[in-house]
Amino acid sequence: MSDLMRTYPVLNVKSHSPVMKSFYFRQPVPDIQPGRFFNVWLPGVDEKPFSVSDVYQGIMEITVKAVGPFTRKMMDVRRGDLLGLRGPFGRGFSHHQHALLVGGGMGVVPLRYLARQLRQRGFHFEVLLGGRCGQDIPFQNDFSEWAPTTFVTDDGSLGYKGLVADYMQDKIRESRLSFVYSSGPEAMLVKVMDLAAQAGLDYEISFERYMKCGIGICGQCVVDGSGIRLCKEGPVLTRQEAEKVSEWGLPHRDATGRRNNS
Amino acid sequence: MDKLLKTSFLGKTYPSPLVLASGVLGLTADSMKRVLDAGAGAVTTKSFGLEPRKGHPCPAILPFDGGLINAVGLSNPGVDEMVKEIRKLREQAGSSSGIFASVFGRTHEEFGEVTRRAVEFEPNLIEVNVSCPNVSSEFGTPFGANEMDVEHITRIVKKAAGSIPVSIKLTIHCPSLIRMAKICEENGADAITAINTVGPGMLIDTGVMKPVLANTVGGVSGPAIFPLALKAVYEICGNTRLPVIGTGGVRTADEALQMIMAGARMVSIGSGVYYGDIELFTRINRDLRSWMKERDIKNLKEFRGVVHE
Ligand SMILES: Cc1cc2nc3c(=O)[nH]c(=O)nc-3n(C[C@H](O)[C@H](O)[C@H](O)COP(=O)(O)OP(=O)(O)OC[C@H]3O[C@@H](n4cnc5c(N)ncnc54)[C@H](O)[C@@H]3O)c2cc1C
Ligand SMILES: Cc1cc2nc3c(=O)[nH]c(=O)nc-3n(C[C@H](O)[C@H](O)[C@H](O)COP(=O)(O)O)c2cc1C
Ligand code: FES
Repeated sequence: MSDLMRTYPVLNVKSHSPVMKSFYFRQPVPDIQPGRFFNVWLPGVDEKPFSVSDVYQGIMEITVKAVGPFTRKMMDVRRGDLLGLRGPFGRGFSHHQHALLVGGGMGVVPLRYLARQLRQRGFHFEVLLGGRCGQDIPFQNDFSEWAPTTFVTDDGSLGYKGLVADYMQDKIRESRLSFVYSSGPEAMLVKVMDLAAQAGLDYEISFERYMKCGIGICGQCVVDGSGIRLCKEGPVLTRQEAEKVSEWGLPHRDATGRRNNS
Repeated sequence: MDKLLKTSFLGKTYPSPLVLASGVLGLTADSMKRVLDAGAGAVTTKSFGLEPRKGHPCPAILPFDGGLINAVGLSNPGVDEMVKEIRKLREQAGSSSGIFASVFGRTHEEFGEVTRRAVEFEPNLIEVNVSCPNVSSEFGTPFGANEMDVEHITRIVKKAAGSIPVSIKLTIHCPSLIRMAKICEENGADAITAINTVGPGMLIDTGVMKPVLANTVGGVSGPAIFPLALKAVYEICGNTRLPVIGTGGVRTADEALQMIMAGARMVSIGSGVYYGDIELFTRINRDLRSWMKERDIKNLKEFRGVVHE
């Protein structure tokens, strides 16, 4: 059973930027859907959720950005270190033709693995990726190689200057895209859902909430309006599911379970 | 209300004897509503205290071959936030819905204070968690292990709870469970919830040669503890007149039946949600119903406590 804790050696580490690294493991279970995640245990430190950024030829990749105490410690992990993996948890993306993949910041991580699968199936898709600066966006080469890709950055250091949502409308209008996948900061996701709905497009979106158990029992990741547990019924939600949720854009609950209003 | 499964408990009637145990999905109105909709007669909130608590780092909840082990460390958003959630649940689920509020305190007095605040939203029951094994390094030995503590806390909570009934949630880790249950009875408790998690226990990862739980040790629940919980319920029902909420390891209708035959008035399920998900409540209700129909049993009372006869 993959819910049980087991440690795996890190086969390799790749640096994307001073604050972003990929870690490679022997694929722990067959058939991992993109969008699903593992709880990664750094022995003696903590355990946190991370999306699968790729599975290729029996090797699984996890990509981490240093944003706080845990992820900063992850930057010190070396080849050969043992990390605990539990998962894959949750529900991932399904496969759709003529899709637009919209990613922001570390949200591009699950979309990278999705893009590999869509390409393997010979599906047509396009990609729109945003970040604060060019360094914020990993896997630029893969995306560009696999599909028509547009970059948008706050500071204009890569692609267009601006916000992803500003360019999404044009993308949808210009091309024959009929489905949207998105993952990224919640403010962006709220806009993406709006724009997709306005254009009458179906979508699947990956959301994040504070998670503890990953197996649907602690209640930490439940979203209001639906009782959906994002660790189990998410993190990827369909349009029908996402529309039931009443708390998108509100502050998330923190480790105590309180809405963090700071 | 389903005639077969209708359960009366401390003056109220519930549509099923099944209860959601404290600590599982009991953090927000929306998740507890889902469990009620799935067929639970009542839901118990996660234990809450006066102040928000972050709890221990993760891993804090782990499955192992025989059940679950957890050291969540009583993380909770504090009484103010919980009162809001429970009010919301009351609005969503209706005034007749079963809501049990689980409270804990760091001191005897704090139990009283939290209870006074919790009664604001008129829960059907105050469940008193004197038995959490995960915070003993901080709070000392769990109060539930000490007769004087249990006696004192029961009195304080009873006074603070006013007309709301009080159930004391016991641990099997005390010199005598029967004696402890009698102390609860003598000091005014209206019910007993038995049992909390067992242990603590621990797990080691042989790869890194370290304990896996961030807290090193944690309470054991799920199938591994079912026989212990069943025997505890049997003993308390045989030695006190208090109604008992049987808790520990229940995953199937057969196990729920065993709890009721041992004397439990209600049966609460926590770790079972991991094994059977939220629909477990629907399935156990359905299976209980068909078991009763097959035997032409009209009411849970007909076989409650039969093994004592
Ligand atoms: C389903 C899912 C998939 C994720 N995938 C990735 C990924 O592929 N790559 C990546 O770099 N990050 C990913 N994250 C985010 C990652 O879990 C957090 O960045 C990490 O937990 C931060 O921990 P910290 O101690 O470094 O930072 P902190 O300072 O503790 O927190 C920084 C931010 O991370 C959030 N966070 C902290 N702990 C948790 C937790 N237990 N669960 C959820 N959020 C938390 C905080 O709310 C805060 O917004 C994912 C999160 C979720 C829920
Ligand atoms: C993850 C988890 C968290 C728990 N948190 C609490 C809690 O906050 N308060 C409490 O009284 N019991 C708590 N418990 C104990 C359960 O309510 C229950 O007494 C115990 O798990 C045995 O029942 P089970 O085998 O059906 O889970 C928790 C149990 C688990 C598994
Ligand atoms: S993280 Fe525990 S229920 Fe989702």
